[in-house]
Amino acid sequence: MCQGVALGDCEVLVPSRIDGVSDTAREPQYLTGDLSEIRPLTRDVDTFSIDLDRPVTFDSGQFVVLAVPGLNGYRAYSMVNGAAETSRLDFVVKRTPGGGFSEWLGVDRAGTTLDVFGPLGRATWRPEEEKDLVCIAGGSGIAGMMSIVSHALSSGHFERHRGDVFFGVRTREDVFFADELARLVDAAGGGLSVTVAYSEESSTVRDPDVPGGIRAAHGFVHLVAGERMAGAWGNRTAFVAGPPPMVDGALRMLIAEARLPASDIRYDKFT
Amino acid sequence: MTWKRVCSAGDIEPGRLAPFVVDGITVIVANLGDDGFSVFPPSCPHMEEPLDQSGICAGLILTCSKHLHQWNMRTGEPTGPEENDRELLRYESRVEGGELLARIDGELVYEHEDDEDDDFEW
Ligand SMILES: Cc1cc2nc3c(=O)[nH]c(=O)nc-3n(C[C@H](O)[C@H](O)[C@H](O)COP(=O)(O)OP(=O)(O)OC[C@H]3O[C@@H](n4cnc5c(N)ncnc54)[C@H](O)[C@@H]3O)c2cc1C
Ligand code: FES
Repeated sequence: MCQGVALGDCEVLVPSRIDGVSDTAREPQYLTGDLSEIRPLTRDVDTFSIDLDRPVTFDSGQFVVLAVPGLNGYRAYSMVNGAAETSRLDFVVKRTPGGGFSEWLGVDRAGTTLDVFGPLGRATWRPEEEKDLVCIAGGSGIAGMMSIVSHALSSGHFERHRGDVFFGVRTREDVFFADELARLVDAAGGGLSVTVAYSEESSTVRDPDVPGGIRAAHGFVHLVAGERMAGAWGNRTAFVAGPPPMVDGALRMLIAEARLPASDIRYDKFT
Repeated sequence: MTWKRVCSAGDIEPGRLAPFVVDGITVIVANLGDDGFSVFPPSCPHMEEPLDQSGICAGLILTCSKHLHQWNMRTGEPTGPEENDRELLRYESRVEGGELLARIDGELVYEHEDDEDDDFEW
């Protein structure tokens, strides 16, 4: 994500159309918030929340950028909560070795006040969109998908449309949100499927650790999604989030194989 | 007005693209299957992403995975949902005796916004 900082007065040339924010409630704002609910989910994924100084309204799939005292630059994190007006934002973060934010975060950081700017991002979903959904996430990329799928569920979308979520992790130990995903599958009454794709497990047997209703598969998540979705790509909106190589692989699959129009593909690369 | 050999027609599978260097000029060749070949400069007309990495072929349509801008590789015309008025520049090409030839008299380059004399309308 661009982190350019102007060192003096400058003229800004904007080479493309700017999509005005149609709804002033969703304009990005400078906020502050306190860290809370910091908890490990797996060996290298944590969840945390931010209690904001005032409520914000965002679309499901959006993110905010955070600044920690003493750390240069902002870091982007996608909200896990379904869209709403809220003063509490929930996130997941994958620990990157040497990572300024992700390694700094720990249970003892609760109460730290952060600068928050947002909401941001165009990889969003709104209930008036009458299409089936497919979500392809690598690791912490599942954050925005949780937001989209819970919002779709609460707005009755799965009574009329399908949703298929593909969640890529390395091994069984790396799965998180399994209970939450199982609850969503259950509540969607057949309209939603979740498949966990293990890139480093050798067998494809059903995983006893993944609660009922969630399927398991072996392989890279975008390839698993391509195989399982073959023939079912009509009238779909696709959401993709995760590490850049996974996102690039998924975009290639969606465009070259699934032949989805670019207008039906929304993505965030976690760079 | 010189036709230069770029590669053999069999060097790239249909539906794929690959970079080649012809007399010091890098070009991308896309095999369009029944529609022949398209030969174009290696950087994305939008923001200079290297198309050998970011370019995705689907039929006649080239998509750059950076911002999903799209072009018709035969005509060079922009297409797709993103606002995009930049043509994909192309080298004229033909296949002769199983070899792909392109007319490369000089390097085709895009004028990007940071160029001095851009014609951007405010
Ligand atoms: C749209 C978007 C959404 C994302 N959502 C999530 C998410 O939900 N969960 C998740 O785990 N990750 C997410 N990421 C990735 C996340 O923003 C971080 O890059 C990642 O957590 C690593 O941060 P770090 O501070 O631990 O690592 P670092 O290596 O310290 O920093 C990573 C990034 O921060 C920026 N940065 C570092 N130093 C500076 C500096 N001095 N000045 C300016 N910028 C600097 C750079 O962009 C760098 O690539 C998202 C990224 C994007 C772009
Ligand atoms: S750089 Fe290729 S689409 Fe933007």
